[in-house]
Amino acid sequence: MLHQEARQASLRHVTRRHFLRSCGAGLGAMALSTLSGLARPLDPLAARAAHFTPRAKRVIFLHMAGGPSSLELFDHKPELARLDGQECPDSLLKGKRFAFIRGVPKMLGPQATFRQRGESGAWVSDHLPHFAQVADEVAFLKAMHTDEFNHAPAQLLVHSGSSRLGRPSMGSWVTYGLGTENANLPAFVVLLSGGVAPDAGASVYGSGFLPTVYQGVQCRSKGDPVLFLSDPEGVPRSLRRRSIDAINRINEETHRDVQDPEVLTRIAQYEMAFRMQTSVPDAMDIGREPEYIHTLYGTEPGETSFANNCLLARRLVERGVRFVQLFHWGWDSHGAGESEALNGGFLDRCKETDRPVAALLRDLRQRGLLEETLVVWGGEFGRTPMLENRSGADNPFVGRDHHSDVFTMWMAGGGIRSGMTWGKTDEIGYQAVSGRVHVHDLQATILHLLGFDHEHLTYPFQGRDFRLTDVHGHVVHDIIA
Amino acid sequence: MPRVARHYVLVLFITGIGLLGCDRRSDVAFNRDIRPLLNENCVSCHGGIRRQGDLNLLWRSDALLPAESGNRAIVPFKPSESELIRRVTTYDTAERMPKDAHPLSPEAVTILRQWITDGAKWDVHWAYKAPEEPALPDVSLTSWPRVPLDHLVLSRLENEGLAPSGPAPCSKLVRRVSLDLIGLPPKPTAAEQVCGELGYEAFVDILLSSPRYGERWAAMWLDLARYADSKGYEKDIPRTIWRYRDWVIKAFNEDMPFDQFTIEQIAGDLLPEASDEQHIATAFHRNTMTNTEGGTDDEEFRVAAVIDRVNTTWEVWQGTSLSCAQCHGHPYDPFRHEDYFRAFAFFNNTADQDASNEYPTLFEFAAADSAQGHALLHQLRRIDGKIAAATATDAVRLERIAWEGMLNDPIEIARVDGMQQGAVQRIARLPEEERDDAQRVFLDHVFGEISTDQHLDSLRQERSAAVQEVQELDAVQTPVLQELPAGKKRTTHLFERGSFLTPLQKVEASIPASFRPLPNDAPRNRLGLARWLVGTDNPLTARVTVNRIWAQLFGVGIVESMEDFGTQGLPPSDPRLLDHLAIRFSQTHAWRLKSLLREVVTSATYRQDSRMTPALQKKDPDNRLLARGPRFRLAAEQIRDQALFVSGLLSSKMYGPSVMPPQPEGLWQNPYDGSDWQPSDGEDRYRRGIYTYWRRTVPYPSMATFDSPSREFCVSRRIRTNTPLQALVTLNDPAFVEAARALAERMHAAGYNEADRIETGYKLAIISPPSPETMRELVTLYHEGLVHYANTPSDREALGTDTAEAAALTVVANAILNLDTFVMKE
Repeated sequence: MLHQEARQASLRHVTRRHFLRSCGAGLGAMALSTLSGLARPLDPLAARAAHFTPRAKRVIFLHMAGGPSSLELFDHKPELARLDGQECPDSLLKGKRFAFIRGVPKMLGPQATFRQRGESGAWVSDHLPHFAQVADEVAFLKAMHTDEFNHAPAQLLVHSGSSRLGRPSMGSWVTYGLGTENANLPAFVVLLSGGVAPDAGASVYGSGFLPTVYQGVQCRSKGDPVLFLSDPEGVPRSLRRRSIDAINRINEETHRDVQDPEVLTRIAQYEMAFRMQTSVPDAMDIGREPEYIHTLYGTEPGETSFANNCLLARRLVERGVRFVQLFHWGWDSHGAGESEALNGGFLDRCKETDRPVAALLRDLRQRGLLEETLVVWGGEFGRTPMLENRSGADNPFVGRDHHSDVFTMWMAGGGIRSGMTWGKTDEIGYQAVSGRVHVHDLQATILHLLGFDHEHLTYPFQGRDFRLTDVHGHVVHDIIA
Repeated sequence: MPRVARHYVLVLFITGIGLLGCDRRSDVAFNRDIRPLLNENCVSCHGGIRRQGDLNLLWRSDALLPAESGNRAIVPFKPSESELIRRVTTYDTAERMPKDAHPLSPEAVTILRQWITDGAKWDVHWAYKAPEEPALPDVSLTSWPRVPLDHLVLSRLENEGLAPSGPAPCSKLVRRVSLDLIGLPPKPTAAEQVCGELGYEAFVDILLSSPRYGERWAAMWLDLARYADSKGYEKDIPRTIWRYRDWVIKAFNEDMPFDQFTIEQIAGDLLPEASDEQHIATAFHRNTMTNTEGGTDDEEFRVAAVIDRVNTTWEVWQGTSLSCAQCHGHPYDPFRHEDYFRAFAFFNNTADQDASNEYPTLFEFAAADSAQGHALLHQLRRIDGKIAAATATDAVRLERIAWEGMLNDPIEIARVDGMQQGAVQRIARLPEEERDDAQRVFLDHVFGEISTDQHLDSLRQERSAAVQEVQELDAVQTPVLQELPAGKKRTTHLFERGSFLTPLQKVEASIPASFRPLPNDAPRNRLGLARWLVGTDNPLTARVTVNRIWAQLFGVGIVESMEDFGTQGLPPSDPRLLDHLAIRFSQTHAWRLKSLLREVVTSATYRQDSRMTPALQKKDPDNRLLARGPRFRLAAEQIRDQALFVSGLLSSKMYGPSVMPPQPEGLWQNPYDGSDWQPSDGEDRYRRGIYTYWRRTVPYPSMATFDSPSREFCVSRRIRTNTPLQALVTLNDPAFVEAARALAERMHAAGYNEADRIETGYKLAIISPPSPETMRELVTLYHEGLVHYANTPSDREALGTDTAEAAALTVVANAILNLDTFVMKE
């Protein structure tokens, strides 16, 4: 099923036709422009208007891969501390599937100290001292839930609306719907940190059955930021320019002969490739940022780090990139070893992300970008209030198993009501009490903020019109300003 | 919605007007006129998934029943009594259908009414009827056709008021047919021979007998087979299954008839005295993904693999999206939820179970280890027999009964392998008599692994020693299908909403009811299914297959939706052409692909010039009418192979483990597995793309950029895109730069002056000679390069060239490898 696709022969051709049909409002921006004296075919990435006036123009999605424990960060549960070490009652286990917990586990109290912060009085643990200072900027969703409790399918569900491979990711849908505001940069950029790729691989930023022009382009901190971006060694820019001129002039000759519009597209794409060779390294070069910015984010040019990626995210949205997707690996705190323990790797993840996340919100705010930039933070699922203890009683490390019924995410900027909390969990943070938000609801809300009715941003595939939220999703109006 | 009585009078009134105001249509055809209307306006609420008001318009039998309201939507011969007509014509918007949408047009209502008046007859969808050989139509341009299909194409063109294009220039046609048949361009000298005395037909025969042919066509098949060198899912660790890839290449090269090709892949293991090769063929369905992530339930992913086998089989051979019926009745096509699981039952009885060791595998030992290897395998079978016997002793059975009672105890269940725990607990909950044979055997096996019985323990040790010994031998182990024997079989259940955790009633293997059933004497297993697929009265297999071949040659299928011949797929652009080719393939050519290809590529239709005209561009931009030859971008593998071939780098080495040509560092980052891309040495760096290691989550970047799929699932159609990232690959990927350098060397060796050299390079790549304008551009580029490299020796060295001439020629070669005419087949 993966990428089997759409009903069209010449994909770009029909894609254009599809735009003409479904995105009428954006026609002005799609008018023919000229390039090298030639009529340029309609560009599938040209900026287009959404269904209604958007609150946000771009998105930065900070995915904490592995599933960070809300119980150590935002979901303050004093009662759970009291129950620490007690056997979990049967009633909590009935009918549940866990990834690793077998038999009867013990409850695990919060491994953190909590305080109320700012004017909103939001609870944030001491693990996030920098974020605590900007907690008033965000709206917390405390009762998120999902259908999946393994990483790869849960990540796919968050990003593509389906736990199976083959659906377009959110960034692809958004760039399909809105195009880009900067033709010299990829419209949908992906930045990875933490040393490993997302569990579900490139599919979490793939274009599924949408044309591949909408897939996320992974930009790297080491080597070429985009694969094969650098000219070959020994070929200077001036000569590369001349090569492309020669290629394009011969291709123009070909077009005069064969009259195939695809040739014109190719000419345009070679020009775009040439421009990207300058604009991408420029956008990716954080070395030019002033010292106070490096201090704010904790960035070190040349490293592959979450901090650097946060600063890059700001630089990219500043330049009109539509969707920036960050993945930071390492939140899978089972406690089976130090690197994945709440009293181990989890604390390192907090340190790596706390300052940069706060810096990103502050920096966007001070540049006037936050109003139109939606920032989303969260993992693919939550974690159990029970101790997992896979490897036996004498394990010095503590951790929690995957938990799909409840977890915390937050959103900020782009039309979000800041300083609020939506949704509530029970006294041990195991089940939602009110304000449940499914990941499909989150997707519907993100699309709504971008100006889309999620039920009408569709693409025909395998006999029906598909959409990000499949047949689900309700906009969470309560968190919208 | 219940009918509201107060509208009764109004209804009669409207109906009366309708009858008076409309012409009678004499020729309402269900497939042409009614089904599209129902599909577009009705079945999303009154179809296979939702049956609002208890009305299902997919099946005649259902549609004639009284609905929830007690009314009958359709009363044959009596439109005025049919609720459907009332509801599409009422002025009451609360009642009018389609709900919350524009009312049907008066013409649509007339058609519906006429159809009911005529008896509301359903008809079988076109694709489910047998193909019919069309009579060859008369054409005006009688000198044009070369083969029968040309008559059909020409008559269509003449009906549309179009004339075919002239023949393609010989050099272009030779490049086209060579790329099509072997995936590589010809050598310029070969093109000269062909266009001289050798002749086109003779060249076609040479291409069809080239070993390169199988490599080219296998690439198409491997997308359908979702072949990859890794297991997929989260960990996506390596899998050894390249012997299957080689089997496909050989099958194409030997021109194995497609019926045999089908039977061996779906059920080679069930053939009498199946050979090793026939077992390897069944690896087709072992290309399903295996989940080795900790904490996953093996049974869940075994079921997922079987589901994928069902979906793939129906898509590949029947162009049918049966997958929709996995969770509920098919939304548009006549497949019921039960049909899905009857089809599932054919595949639900193989021994594989998502195990990380890929069991069962076929061992092929190196000659030196063969005798020892087979002896060890024999010994292993004997030990397994002994273990089974030992598990059945009274002592062990007593221990076993106690164990089953304690399976809720976390310590007890923890003794079982993590990925089997879910299944063990589910089976243990079932009363003995409700367990099927496979479940009993499974539980025996699991218990046999953990029993404390001393005899069993020593047998287990004996076995692991033998396993260890076998693993140390030089052997290729390929995962294959193996049918569970009597006494170990699984029972198939319908799964509620497609979930394996909620089995409902038992079902037996059978063909979906909308199709012709299996013959009475056919075995109800994969072999029976495979023979049914290629049986003489299967209406779809030949059509679906020739359509794929056609799309490879012409860029788009006669049925554009190659994966879906159902009612929501697109209708064929020319049904007669499709049927003609299907019959030629399955009957005249006895399922032999080479014969079919020879016929198509020697046709006048295929040999047309591919240039467009503004008029043609306007009337038929996608060339569905075939008034010109094909022109479209080459596939990912061909882009790579062609660059290596024209630069003289391409290795002709065939078969064997997949290779790792250089790729940028740091692409493989797997959370769980330290495996790394180890660039191959020597000629393995320059093998054809089909031998490139295919890791599902991290595909080879330059091919993925040119739209090669991840191969996680069967892909019928690669969507061709045209992106700046593709330009960056052919401009800058070190593999393409190396090809440019090598091409420059060939250019340098071939001529005495720059014009000669550049013309030679151009012809090596494009085959046709360059125009004066093109030559001017390339010569100018050469001179600019020459000046730069003469003045900047450091750049010349950095480019890896010895002289300024070689460097400048490399720049020109790089430009040639980026021309539109190079990446396009035309």
